[in-house]
Amino acid sequence: MITIAMKGETLVKSAIKEWLGNCIEKLNTGELTEIDLRGVTTALNSQKQLILYLYSKSTNPRSPIGGWALYDATAPDEPVLPSQDAPYTSVLEAVKDGWRIVQFPRPELYNFTDVDNAYLTYEFILEKFV
Amino acid sequence: MINIEPTLDDHQVMQFIHNGYVTLERVVDADFNQECESVPGGHLSDFVLTDKFRRNVLLHPEVAGVVRSLLGANFLVPTSAHHHLFEAVHRGQTWHSDGLTEYGYGITHLQCYYYPTAVKIEDGPTMILPGSHHRLVDREAIAHYGDILGQLSLTVPAGTVAMTRYGIWHKAGPKLNPNRRGMIKFSYFRTAMPKRDWVRDSDEIPPYQHAGRHPYVTEVESYRERRRGELTWQWLCGLTEVEEPLPPVQMFNSGIPLSEIRLR
Repeated sequence: MITIAMKGETLVKSAIKEWLGNCIEKLNTGELTEIDLRGVTTALNSQKQLILYLYSKSTNPRSPIGGWALYDATAPDEPVLPSQDAPYTSVLEAVKDGWRIVQFPRPELYNFTDVDNAYLTYEFILEKFV
Repeated sequence: MINIEPTLDDHQVMQFIHNGYVTLERVVDADFNQECESVPGGHLSDFVLTDKFRRNVLLHPEVAGVVRSLLGANFLVPTSAHHHLFEAVHRGQTWHSDGLTEYGYGITHLQCYYYPTAVKIEDGPTMILPGSHHRLVDREAIAHYGDILGQLSLTVPAGTVAMTRYGIWHKAGPKLNPNRRGMIKFSYFRTAMPKRDWVRDSDEIPPYQHAGRHPYVTEVESYRERRRGELTWQWLCGLTEVEEPLPPVQMFNSGIPLSEIRLR
């Protein structure tokens, strides 16, 4: 939970630092303008979509989580060690942390038989903008 | 025919039915591990056919003992293999099972991973998902899956052989360093319908004992696993007449009957 929130915060801080560095450079050369100063709003308004898949033990968003995957296009393209610590205890906990559900699992898509299992159930897809 | 003694008992066979894998740590001799470290990556055939590879790996009493227990007496011994060799840092593969389904209740195909070198978590170990060997899925449709409760990273000492029921979900894990990480993959196949001829205390067939729920599995999925496990157990004990294609399709690897092998 903290890791995901921090990534968004870090992204904004990094953009502001870059903006500040450019402004100081222009200030030192006497080229700083009002437009440059207003540029900080671009950094503050920048929004990137994060996607989170959560595999809930039932269609109830309060159920425990059996699997998860976070897709963050803003993160560096580096290997990350596997984890056994789910980012949230339930879908509802993720919603409490600001995630919006964009796909609910539909029971009719999960074939019911007496013997055969297949894909992981139940897949919620969530999004957050940072 | 070379005599191979079974090594698994009823309980261990049931555990294999439930988990879909067994690992044998440090079974291969250190000198032979060292020899295999320099084997090039990719398809292997001549090397697999050598007496030394057969003696040290394929027909090692512990390795072949598991095969004998799960696939019966005159199983097909691998005549080819693939050396999965990773060196560069990478994000890891996506979850998948190899080939097509081989979806029956039986155990007809064991896919094995031999590690000549120790594998640490930073080396991009093979990851498997215990209990996933009966899940019929399209591998491209699970490529977005990430971490799953109960997944297992095969961080193993040198000389380890992991033996899996074909179809188990697996992948190369994320690799954080440029160290060489090798794994030689090969398959054994069943040639005859089964009977309960592994290690046993009596001729009385015990009932299947379901070993509980894997951490990622839902309640109804666990019931299904139990039912499927019972059917597989009955099939292995020769109690059901469900036919499986024998030997199964050999899509990537090939083998010859144990009875045709002569070691010099």
